[in-house]
Amino acid sequence: MAHPSQLGFQDAASPVMEELLHFHDHALMIVFLISTLVLYIIVAMVTTKLTNKFILDSQEIEIIWTLLPAIILILIALPSLRILYLMDEINDPHLTIKAMGHRWYWSYEYTDYEDLGFDSYMIPTQDLAPGQFRLLETDHRMVVPVESPIRILISAEDVLHSWAVPSLGVKMDAVPGRLNQTAFIASRPGVFYGQCSEICGANHSFMPIVVEAVPLEHFENWSSLMLEDA
Amino acid sequence: MLAIVRKQLRNHPALIPLFIFIGGGATMSLLYLARLGLRNPDVCWDRKNNPEPWNKLGPNDQYKFFTVNMDYSKLKKDRPDF
Repeated sequence: MAHPSQLGFQDAASPVMEELLHFHDHALMIVFLISTLVLYIIVAMVTTKLTNKFILDSQEIEIIWTLLPAIILILIALPSLRILYLMDEINDPHLTIKAMGHRWYWSYEYTDYEDLGFDSYMIPTQDLAPGQFRLLETDHRMVVPVESPIRILISAEDVLHSWAVPSLGVKMDAVPGRLNQTAFIASRPGVFYGQCSEICGANHSFMPIVVEAVPLEHFENWSSLMLEDA
Repeated sequence: MLAIVRKQLRNHPALIPLFIFIGGGATMSLLYLARLGLRNPDVCWDRKNNPEPWNKLGPNDQYKFFTVNMDYSKLKKDRPDF
């Protein structure tokens, strides 16, 4: 989850998010280098005592400052396109979960083997137990097995919502009447938080998403328990 | 027109990389757009003979331009024919 005064991304919990993090580091390093260079040139131009009123043009420097930015842009574009196509690949998911957005909660359906469905409401601030996170905890978490490709089908029952979990690198709009598909692999066990990312009314900020990645046996126990309770 | 450009290039050779990159970029964009228009199964050109090409997708075909980790020819076809 996010922590106070955080500047960067949350720690990656899926291979796609790791790739995105590395790409962001790469692009940001290029941006820092260019900004430093420009700042240096500005300071140098402003503080120099040299003057030459008769320079008209220079072919060499023009070639350099055409070639170098083009090369830098290619160096940014190639990893970017690679990640773009990587994010679209869904390689043989082990489990399919449907996430439906409502006003103002999410409901999850695990219908591969049995008919398991439940709603996930935010825990109000006054009902939080010590150690729980404000505006982020829900009564029922979406439990998934760790290190398994999971396919999520996302839609909405009333207005636009968006299912987003930053540490898994997932964000997909929930559009009424439309089924959007995305996938992720949780690389490590843990609890990953997200929030609804499309304005949907009064309680848009109060319908969080919690994904809990557990080993497969725990997932099987959990789903049996949930089926009994239902 | 071309003669004027050639004369300007001789006096300002720095314009050559500019032509290469801008021309190359525009060419690649147009080629990709053409590929999308002609090869994308979501696009219908011939309403009489091929009205809904998105209904004719094969399970092992690759429709994307580039794959990183997937080999579509190795996928199993685990869905029913209809």
